[in-house]
Order: sequence, then structure tokens, then C-alpha cells
Amino acid sequence: METYKADVVIVGGGGAGLRAAIAVAESDPLLKIALVSKVYPMRSHTVAAEGGAAGARQAHDSFDFHFHDTVGGGDWLCEQDVVEYFVSHCPTELTRLEHWGCPWSRKADGHVNVRAFGGMKIERTWFAADKSGFHILHTLFQTSIKYPSIKRFDEYFCVDLVEDDGRCRGVVVIEMATGEFTLIEARSVILATGGAGRVFRENTNGGVVTGDGMALAYRHGVALRDMEFVQYHPTCMPVTGLLFTEACRGEGGYLVNKDGYRYLQDYGLGPLQEKPCNKYMELGPRDRLSQAFWHEKQKGRTVEGPLGSVVHLDLRHLGEARLRERLPLIYEMAQTFLGIDPAKDMIPVRAAVHYTMGGIRVDGHCASSLPGLFAAGECSSVGIHGANRLGSNSLSELLVFGKVAGDSAAEHARQASYGKTGALLKQARAARQRLMDIKTRTGGKEKTAALRKEMAQQMEDGCGIFRMESTMRTTCDKLAELRERFENIVIEDQTSVWNTEFLTTVELDHQLDIAAAIANSALNRRESRGAHQRIDGYGERDDANFLKHTDAYYVPGGPPRIEYGAVKITKSPPAARLYGAAGEKAEQERKAPHV
Amino acid sequence: MSKRRPYIRPMDGWWKKNPFFIEYVIHESTAFFVLAYALTLLVGLVRLGQGETAWSAWLASLKTPLAIVFHVCLLAGAVYHAFSWFKLMPVTLPPVRIGGRKLRADEIVTGGFVAAVAGAAFIYLLVWGLA
Amino acid sequence: MSDPGKIIEIEVLRYNPENDEAPHSTVYKVPFTDDMSVLQGVQYIKDNFDGSLTFRWSCRMAICGSCGMMINGVPKLSCETFLRDYYPNRISLEALAHFPIEKDLVVDWSGFMEKLESVHPYIIPKEKRSPEEGEYLQTPEQFGEYIRYAACINCTLCYSACPQFGLDPDFIGPGALAILHRYNMDSRDGGATRRMELVASEEGVFTCSAAAYCSEVCPKHVDPANAVNINKINASKDYFLRFLRPKGES
Repeated sequence: METYKADVVIVGGGGAGLRAAIAVAESDPLLKIALVSKVYPMRSHTVAAEGGAAGARQAHDSFDFHFHDTVGGGDWLCEQDVVEYFVSHCPTELTRLEHWGCPWSRKADGHVNVRAFGGMKIERTWFAADKSGFHILHTLFQTSIKYPSIKRFDEYFCVDLVEDDGRCRGVVVIEMATGEFTLIEARSVILATGGAGRVFRENTNGGVVTGDGMALAYRHGVALRDMEFVQYHPTCMPVTGLLFTEACRGEGGYLVNKDGYRYLQDYGLGPLQEKPCNKYMELGPRDRLSQAFWHEKQKGRTVEGPLGSVVHLDLRHLGEARLRERLPLIYEMAQTFLGIDPAKDMIPVRAAVHYTMGGIRVDGHCASSLPGLFAAGECSSVGIHGANRLGSNSLSELLVFGKVAGDSAAEHARQASYGKTGALLKQARAARQRLMDIKTRTGGKEKTAALRKEMAQQMEDGCGIFRMESTMRTTCDKLAELRERFENIVIEDQTSVWNTEFLTTVELDHQLDIAAAIANSALNRRESRGAHQRIDGYGERDDANFLKHTDAYYVPGGPPRIEYGAVKITKSPPAARLYGAAGEKAEQERKAPHV
Repeated sequence: MSKRRPYIRPMDGWWKKNPFFIEYVIHESTAFFVLAYALTLLVGLVRLGQGETAWSAWLASLKTPLAIVFHVCLLAGAVYHAFSWFKLMPVTLPPVRIGGRKLRADEIVTGGFVAAVAGAAFIYLLVWGLA
Repeated sequence: MSDPGKIIEIEVLRYNPENDEAPHSTVYKVPFTDDMSVLQGVQYIKDNFDGSLTFRWSCRMAICGSCGMMINGVPKLSCETFLRDYYPNRISLEALAHFPIEKDLVVDWSGFMEKLESVHPYIIPKEKRSPEEGEYLQTPEQFGEYIRYAACINCTLCYSACPQFGLDPDFIGPGALAILHRYNMDSRDGGATRRMELVASEEGVFTCSAAAYCSEVCPKHVDPANAVNINKINASKDYFLRFLRPKGES
């Protein structure tokens, strides 16, 4: 097997991975960096983010406001010290990105502009029209080209981590173009592999979002934290799940039911506002809006059509000119994929899976419990999103914690040594053998595509917007059954070059573990908080028993072991989570004694 | 050992595979019509240098039916060449601004045509006036 | 909605380097609905008929740039091209033209990546600035100078539309040159001189013969042909002005 030595290996070439690579390169140009990605970096799913990235910049805004929005938005399941660090570093990182060429939308005076976003008290979302993720990703990728110490392994698929002496010492990768395995030895390893939304049926995610890094860390004994918190985005295209950004509502769009009624006023987000009003109505947080959609459907007030139940996103009053300027991608998507003109017609939308709040448990320095292993971005759980992420916090997270992970990994690499090559090669060969056994086994009759479809349906049935013990249990059982059936998968394509049938089977192998972690974490959380809502008698938040992080640990051949960890509270004690007029009133009451 | 064996497709007959390329090749080849006319004029110049008899013979040769058909063909080719170049102008020119406003593609194309027709008319009138 | 019984014939140019001497066509009969893209069509084939069919894809919304292919001879993103627009005729699919085929619909993009890397595709600051000093100011006019070229998603449809690239694979090509131009036109950038050598080189803009099909097929309306042709003018100016400049200046 070929081997390669780097000081830092980064798995994942999306926003977090690229930002980490740049951070390592800037901290010490002598450190050799290997950037491994199963797609060319600019294809990574950061590219599809639309709305923008949060960072306080207006005079009447403050880090404290951003902090409270984030912690309240996360239903108090956030690591508050980490959130404090996060909010205070967002503007710096966003400005740095501007210096690297990111075409943030501007005001007439040439300064960067900001827009309103759900759950944010003040407009603080930096945006590049509605292609913010695209521009962030391409800016980072093109900037990364400047650093000769970054060696890219484009279209290399990471299939395992290797350890020696209790530390992570490298990764095993497959070159997709040849099918050959390579061991990349490293002093530090950063996982930046993104989320796992593809384990669900209807989702906004790209095909690559299969939770690979989460599964690898999980199998090496690192906890997956808070996996039950899966974000449903309220405005997605029916069937495909393609995303219509929250910026549609930030710019003033309405959500209406089949009667043309702005139904959010019935769900604690009112009273009705004509103009966009922060934290009211359509600018409420995503979990609440998706839940409101579910209730409308139960009440029979959604529009039923060939594409299933939908509500309408009404942008008509914004006018074509503004739509073209602020939401050009949305405009084109509505035209191309739905054949409608959003300046003239309403867009049919419903909630679909968008984001995994949980992930690889890391501390504020992005270090996991396995020494030498770091994680950043959606694959990680650094603790800023809690039970529900606010829109536009994740793009900022990529930048802030991509850099932290890079700095931490560089620091670690300067002190750590390489593992013993012989021991590492032995593990790499074992990993190869395990996968080649999956590829070449005969006699079974299961198909990867069919199992993947069943898994996704199970996740939707059991771990949807509202959850019940019985269906979650069924999902857990079915996932265990699918895990057994995975052993009977037969792969037709036995060639080596670009064998995507084999690689998607490896992805499914990862997805099945992640799905089990999500479903079992959900089953065990007997309360409702943020994106985890139950309708089986646990409909209330239960701080006494569940103001805790879920830690799911991998158990070979069985469901995960679930443990609970403390939540770090610094300056925001848990309180009722209120929006609309109720939220405003509560906030005034909280402030009153200090005035 | 890598089993990669990238296949490179031949380019033979590439221009026949897409209507856009057929038009492109016609556009490019009509440049030869312009060249042919330039050569014709060059011959005239040489004949002029050879004296009056040669010049008159050349003038007379231009009046034969064959020469007229030849010139009509050249004119058609040159007009098509000009037409296709004007169509390309928005792509080949840097942004054209008038009064701070960027011209649209169709305005640039129309502008090109108008300038060409006006220029041709001017020369025609000039020559007519001199004659 | 469509009649669920509709079936479209999809002809795919298949090539497996381990089994095939040369590419060959295979026709599949795919049941489809009116909302199905060409990408969903090939996914259907892979999931139901032949797991070895190979293609790249990810975002499904025409922004990641993975899923380009020749669709009835025209380079397009398969995720935003719909089967209904071809039915009842047969639709033919082939890997992006002018690139070597790795397998089926997957091409070798390593050459394109090298070209992209060669154009210094990053801000070479005119004046350095720290984050504490805040952002560079950019007027709407300055922003308007480059934003169109910054929309390139690196899908390489323009390369499949470029006969010159097909004839000379060393040509830097429309996409990478559009990105080069994007940085040259950015008011924050001062690197145009450094990029000029490449612009004027043998692989540079003068290889372009202005077929301009690249701009026609660009799914993001980047207009790479314009970027290339403006740089022909820039390179010519640079060449002639060099004679007028005092010696010793670059």
C-alpha cells in the first residue's frame, strides 16, 4: 500500500476543511498539509448555502445580542462559553473573507450590507445575494491555491482513521480514479466532512452529505453528541427538497396556508406584522416554523396537490427587480424546477431535513476525546447550535471553527510525533480487507440503493418533525435489521476505476451507523426541546432531567450506548423560549431590574 | 497498478456535430470572400501600373457576366461575414458605456449595423459625387 | 401531472476502461414523471438497471457544477435539464466533450484544475489590510465590474463548447480565463501584471478563435468569451505599450 506523510491531514474540502487548511498554512508554512476530499473542494455542499453568515456589525447590535439569540434559539442546549467565543469572532472572520475576495453584497456607500434572518434580533447576516455559500466556498478554495504547503487529494474517499498508542495518527483513503488504497500518516487529523442529512428521505442536501467523518470518529470511540437534533427547514421544494433560503423571508416573504392566511400568527409568533419584524412571524426560528407547518397539515389547512401537502411562500409583493437583485438563485430555481415566476406566482414549499445540529463531540478548541483528532463544521458538535441552529450561524461556524481547528491541529502537530508506520499499515490493510470483503462477497441479494431508500423512509417515519416512542422504536428496530441485511449486499461492479457502486455502499455503511445514533438518541430523550419534539406525553421541555447533552457511543453489532453530559451555562440561565410579542415582553421583563 | 485508461475521443468532423459550429465555420470561411475581393482590387492596381491599355482591359473584364456573378457572390459572402461579426461584437468588445450606462448586447449589434450602413452610404455618395 | 406510464429511451455512451476497448452506446427504457431531471433519469438507471453506470453529481440545484454532460450533443447540467423536454424522442447522453473519459459519464478534470490553479485565482492585494481595519470599500460600479465573472461554478461546460480546447488541450480555456479576469477586474486586486504573462502566452487568450459557444452554454451567464476577448485587447495593449515604457519598469 502506498503511504504519504503529512503534518496535518484534513478530511473534507468544504468551508470548514478549507478554512482549517488555510489556518494551518498561515500558522506555519513548514507544516505539510494533506487535504482529502471525495469531491473537488468546490463541489462540497457548502456551495449550496444561500442566505448568509451571521456576524454583529451594526452600531446598535452587540456580541451579547448575538449570544442571546443563539442560546435561546438553541433552547439552552448550547455550550455558552463556546458561543461567547463564536459570536465575538464572527465579524473578524467575515471581514477576513472579504479581504480574500468574497463578493459580499454592498450598500450604496460601498460597505458590506446585512439582512434579517430568522430568530435574530437585529439584522446581522452578511450575504452574497442568495449564493452566500457558493461565494464563500469558491473564495476559500481559490485562496487555498495560494499556499504551496496544501497538497490536495481531490476525489479521494476517506474510509478509516488509524491510531497508535491511543492517538489518531492518520487516515486510510481510496483514490476514486483507481480504486487504490493509500495510508496518509499525520501528526494531527481534522475531520470536516459535513452533515448527514441524506439519511433522511426528503432533504435539502447534496448527494455527498453522508456523514462519513461522523461515522469514522464514532467507530473509533468518540461520542456523537446531540444527534437527535435534526433541523427541518420550513421552505423547501416538494419532492426534491431543494432549498428556498430563509432570506426569502428575511427580505419580506410571507408564508400562507391554503386560505391565503399567514398562519404563523397562530403559533406564538404573532401578532401579524406587515413589514418583516425580527423574531416575529416569518422571522421566527426554523424549528418553530417547521412545527407550525406540521400542525397546519394536521388541521387540513395545507394545499394538497400532486406534489403532496404544501404551503405557499409568497414573494410577489417584493417585485421582480428586488427579487432579481437579492434572490436571483431563488428566482431561477422557481422558474427552472417549478416553472413558475415568483414575481407573479406563489412558491409551493414544505419542511424538509436540512442540517444535523449534533456531531462529533469536540471542545472549544475543536479537539475530540481521541488525542490528535479534531473536527469542525457540520460534522462536529462544538456546542453552538444546541437543540436548534439559527439560520446563518453555520456559515460563520465554518470560518470561526475551521480556523480554530486548523490552529489547534497545527499546534498539536508541532508537538506530536508520527505513529509507528508498521502498526498503522497493519490497520490500513485491515481496513482495506474489510472493504474488499464487502465489495467481493457473493451469495446475497440485497441492493445498496434499495436499502438506502428503506433507511431514509424509516428515518422520516420515526424521526420527523414530531416524534413518538412507538414509531421511534420501530425505526430503531428496522435500522438494526437493515444493518444485518447490509451483510447481504451484492455489488455488481467489480472493477477498480471509479467504482461508485462500491463507494456508495461504503457511504451506506456510514449512514446506517449515523441513522442508528440519531434514532436511538431521539428515543432516549423523553422531553421536547428545539428540533426534538414529541407528541407522546413528553411534549414539554424538561430541564430537571434533560438539560443535558446526549452522547452516543458506538457499540459494535448493537444499538449505541447513550450517556448524558453537562451543559455549560455562563450567563444565560434557561428560560421560556418565546418569540413574537410574547418574546419581546419577556425580554423587557428580564432587562427591567437592571435599568 | 492503476487500471485507469482514459479514452480520448477524436476531433474528426467536430464542426459537423453541432449547428452552432456549422454556422461558426461558415462565418470563418466567408473571410476568404473578403480576401478574394482584396486580391481582385490588388490585380486592378497592378494593371493600372502597367498602363492605360492594361487598365481598360481589366475594367472591361469586370463587366463580363461571369465577373458580375463573381462579385455578387463576393458581396454576399462579405455581407454575411460582416453580419456574423456584428453579432459577435457584444462578446468581443469590452463593456461599452454611453453616459455611464452599459449598452445592452442588442444595442451594440444594432449600433454596428447602423455604423456599417452609414459608412457604406457615405463612401458611395462620396465616390458618386467625385464621379 | 404526468401519466405515470410514460417511458423515455435514454441512450448512454458507456465506457469501462477495464472491459471496453472504446466507448459504446447502451439504450435504457426509463419510466419517468414530468418533474424528473436527466440526472434523476441516470440515477434511476443506476439504482434499477445497472449499478455500474458512473456519473458525478451532488447538489441537484445547479450550483455545485458536478453533473455536466453532453445531452443530445449539447453540454448541459443534467440536474436542471428535464426529460419531459425530450420526450417522446430518445435522449442521448455522453461524457463532456473534449475531455478524456475516465468511465461512462465521468471525465478527467485534472487538466482543468491545473489551469484554474495557474491563473492566480485569488486576491493579490493592491494594499494590505488587517481585519481590524475593516472591509475594503467597493462601490456598486466597482462591484459590477467583476461579479458576473465570479459566478463561474467550474462546471466546464464551456470547455466542452470550445473547439479550440478540443483541438489544443493546453489552451487555458474559457472558464479559467474568466476567473482570471474576475480577479483582474476586482478593485481590491493588484495582480493583473502578474497574470499578464499567462494571458499573452501560447496557451493564453490568442488561442481563442471567438466561436463564442462557451458563453452560449454557460449555465450561469458568466460570458467567458467576453472575458477572453477583453484580454486579447489588454494583452495587445500591454505588448505595444511595453515599447513606450522607459526601460527597467515592468
